[in-house]
Amino acid sequence: MVSAKKRKKPIDIMRDRLLFVALFCCFFYGIVAWRLIDVAVFNTKPRVEYAYRPTKSVSSVKFGRMDVVDRHGVLLATTLQTPSLYANPRQILDVEEAVTKLKKAEPSFDKKELRKKLSSDRSFVWLYRNITPSQQYKINRLGIVGLHFQNEEHRFYPKESLLSHLLGFTNIDNKGIAGIEQFYDEELRRRDLPLVLTIDTRLQHMLRQELLKAVNEFTAIGASGMIVNPKTGEVLAMVSLPDFNPNNPTGSDQESIFARFNRNTLGIYEMGSTFKMFTIAAALDRKTVTLEKQYDTTQPLRIGKYLIRDFKPKNKWLNVKEILKFSSNIGVARIALEMGGGNLKVFLKDLGLLDAPLMGVGEVGLPTFPKRWGDIQTATISYGHGIAVSPYQLIRAVSAIVNGGVLKPLIFVRPDDPLARQIIADQEKRVMSEKTSERMRKLLADVVENGTGGKVKVPGFRIGGKTGTAEKVKASGGYAKKALLSSFVAAFPIDDPQYVIFVMVDEPKGTKDTFGYATGGWVAAPVVGNVIKKMSSVLGIAPDHTFSPKQIQYRRKNRSGI
Amino acid sequence: MSSKSRLFQRNQMTLGEKLQEINVPFLFLIFLTACVGFAMLYSAAQGFHPWAFRQMIRFFFGVGVLILIALIDIRFWLRWSYWFYLLTLAALIVVAVKGTIGMGAQRWIDLGFMRLQPSEIMKIALVLALSRYFHMRSFEEIRSIAPLIPPLLITFVPVGLVMMQPDLGTALLLLMEAAVLFFVSGVRLWKFGAIIVAGLGSLPILWSSLHAYQKKRVLTFLDPESDPLGSGYHILQSKIAIGSGGLFGKGFMQGTQGHLNFLPERQTDFIFTMLAEEFGLFGGVSIVLLYSFIFIYAYYITLQSRSHFGHYVGVGVTTTFFLYVFINISMVMGLIPVVGVPLPLISYGGSALMAMMIGFGFLMNIYIHRDIRFGRNEIYG
Repeated sequence: MVSAKKRKKPIDIMRDRLLFVALFCCFFYGIVAWRLIDVAVFNTKPRVEYAYRPTKSVSSVKFGRMDVVDRHGVLLATTLQTPSLYANPRQILDVEEAVTKLKKAEPSFDKKELRKKLSSDRSFVWLYRNITPSQQYKINRLGIVGLHFQNEEHRFYPKESLLSHLLGFTNIDNKGIAGIEQFYDEELRRRDLPLVLTIDTRLQHMLRQELLKAVNEFTAIGASGMIVNPKTGEVLAMVSLPDFNPNNPTGSDQESIFARFNRNTLGIYEMGSTFKMFTIAAALDRKTVTLEKQYDTTQPLRIGKYLIRDFKPKNKWLNVKEILKFSSNIGVARIALEMGGGNLKVFLKDLGLLDAPLMGVGEVGLPTFPKRWGDIQTATISYGHGIAVSPYQLIRAVSAIVNGGVLKPLIFVRPDDPLARQIIADQEKRVMSEKTSERMRKLLADVVENGTGGKVKVPGFRIGGKTGTAEKVKASGGYAKKALLSSFVAAFPIDDPQYVIFVMVDEPKGTKDTFGYATGGWVAAPVVGNVIKKMSSVLGIAPDHTFSPKQIQYRRKNRSGI
Repeated sequence: MSSKSRLFQRNQMTLGEKLQEINVPFLFLIFLTACVGFAMLYSAAQGFHPWAFRQMIRFFFGVGVLILIALIDIRFWLRWSYWFYLLTLAALIVVAVKGTIGMGAQRWIDLGFMRLQPSEIMKIALVLALSRYFHMRSFEEIRSIAPLIPPLLITFVPVGLVMMQPDLGTALLLLMEAAVLFFVSGVRLWKFGAIIVAGLGSLPILWSSLHAYQKKRVLTFLDPESDPLGSGYHILQSKIAIGSGGLFGKGFMQGTQGHLNFLPERQTDFIFTMLAEEFGLFGGVSIVLLYSFIFIYAYYITLQSRSHFGHYVGVGVTTTFFLYVFINISMVMGLIPVVGVPLPLISYGGSALMAMMIGFGFLMNIYIHRDIRFGRNEIYG
């Protein structure tokens, strides 16, 4: 007993403690390993919910226009108090001295202009508006009698050109004259909480990067894109290129005007083949076709003096599924003619493609379509020619097709804001059966798996979509064969779509990598694929490599609760 | 008797004997981990420049340093360990003085071919200095109080200097590795208890002395969602990236977080996130296992040593290595607040890599000289 109670030998104490340290480390290492599994396996739910709650700021007194923020509270537009410099020329003692001093203090000032303004005999002239505080400080120090400052409100957009078209801008008197600023002008003056948009700045940035890349790669003249939640109509990103800096939106040259043009809401375009999904959805919903029904696409279709051809003829009878998969003009025209122009027109009107939409930005494009709707018009409209709509309208219609059949307005302010609630209540309506929507999702998945949309594929993600390539109308009339509008619209995950993504590239030129093709399948589909890949990591959506297209479980139940 | 004499015979080793004793599996594990690092840096930059190539050169230079340190007699290092410590301390002071003279807060000295961070090297130098001190003291001395004052000074002078930089992460790392050496040396447990109580008691004082950004880091760690775009950004984005890797990841070069620049510092402190995104849970667990092999091996080497100095240096280096890995991975997964601690052998950064290679050099040295016995007086002989 005595020996057991004897003190341990120093060397044993050391060895014990060494082992203890090792075990201690092992224990903590185990925690790390567990946490890794926890984060990787159980932490994969997408994060797009509104974590941000606007609160009244206690530190600063409200003045002027309210801020605009994104869904996470990132500041997109704010109002600054900036000094403006004005003069009372009658008080100026020595114009020449004042001009020299001012020029010395602020070399960017124009001497001639200053001289002219200061020599006038009025008692008030603006010299420079919205100068910086450091400029104000420098000028103040000159101590020139007759120069005065007035604080003015000045709208500032910290993200610069990232959200140019969406936010719009204000004029010098701080009145909104474009974009959100224009549409919600009154609201922004009135309210005392920031306006929370549906936009996710990260997605906006990412979409813009991808579009810029595509514009460079294909030497295109412009591009546009949107990411939308089809279940709620929330617009997560909206980009139009070229864009501009809303902090300095002026410029009346051709280029600046072109840059201020919002392609997504104001631009209307003949969308081409993406319209085929509307035609087929209409025929399925009106039950004038079944999926298995076959149509003769071996010969060009003659209507009056017109001849309808396929881009890549298959020279055989195709069923409805194949018509969409191979994007056959002849096939879809036959479907449309069989159902009748009237049916198609009503369906397109239900989808909101024939009326100017009410949206949240100032710029709204009116759709154009033929007044007389005869056979030839029915045939061409069935594949998206002779009708021009805005990308906004197209995406809204596609969202209805994949979300279970309910047309929802695309909104820019968060859905629980009364502004949005009103719009939703007014415009939401069922436009097709759930069954049709479910069938369309299957067809769209097939286009990506086996058809023209293959370039959008991202390993591990279930995507459905449709290509669109339209020849642009020449100013002289007729179509310009070489000037294309290449687009792609995708929904993912296609078995229960959470996102609808649209990309359109304006006048892309084929490259060596695309074998000279500049069609939607070659140009726009890969862009959408990249966008989806990058979205997945921003939003934390894990790829599912066990996925095979045959296993897609198409949910019949409409989860949006409508 | 006979075994003792054999050991004494082996007390001097020829260079050839030493070379034969080099532990190849241990070197291989290090090499393998470094290769993972090269691959990740290649992926982060989408090419060898600017990171992967430089890191490779540094690594092979580091292997040379490792072998050089390993081959020199362990008693030489015992003799020179204070000098090594003092030299590093001088470098730390130089950095501190440069910072205050107005060249801006710097943590490094430019050596031309690399920027040396003395605070990184101090992690090894502190281990050597404390090891020598405890090696030279008898067990009874360590059990009393007065002889503990010099090692406390050895510890707190560099910790203070590093705090001033300000680099809270490294300062805490130095403190922790010192604590382990004190613990292993046999310092009585109640003293540790007393220090822990005193430490907890002084927390409010420490808190008030923290920089605002440091406070914010701790607060956002406690609730990252409170500031998803500010200080919480790293943690959230990093967790998202790890989660988005799924089981097997997105594939080499396919990770998007890193390439998209959503992940700041992806090539240094947050490289594990990139790895987990590209290779998924599988890749993350593989790296965790690889590291655990390395430090199980390192502990094994430590326990093989027959000298106290070897024990101390071994446990000190191994603990430093463990703390690096543990703190880095815990940080990117949001287990602890964000502190600037790199992932050893994988993160980009010359000083951290060099410090680790020097540390591994000493481990290798201990292994080669494991059978050499020397006492407290060896230093004078």
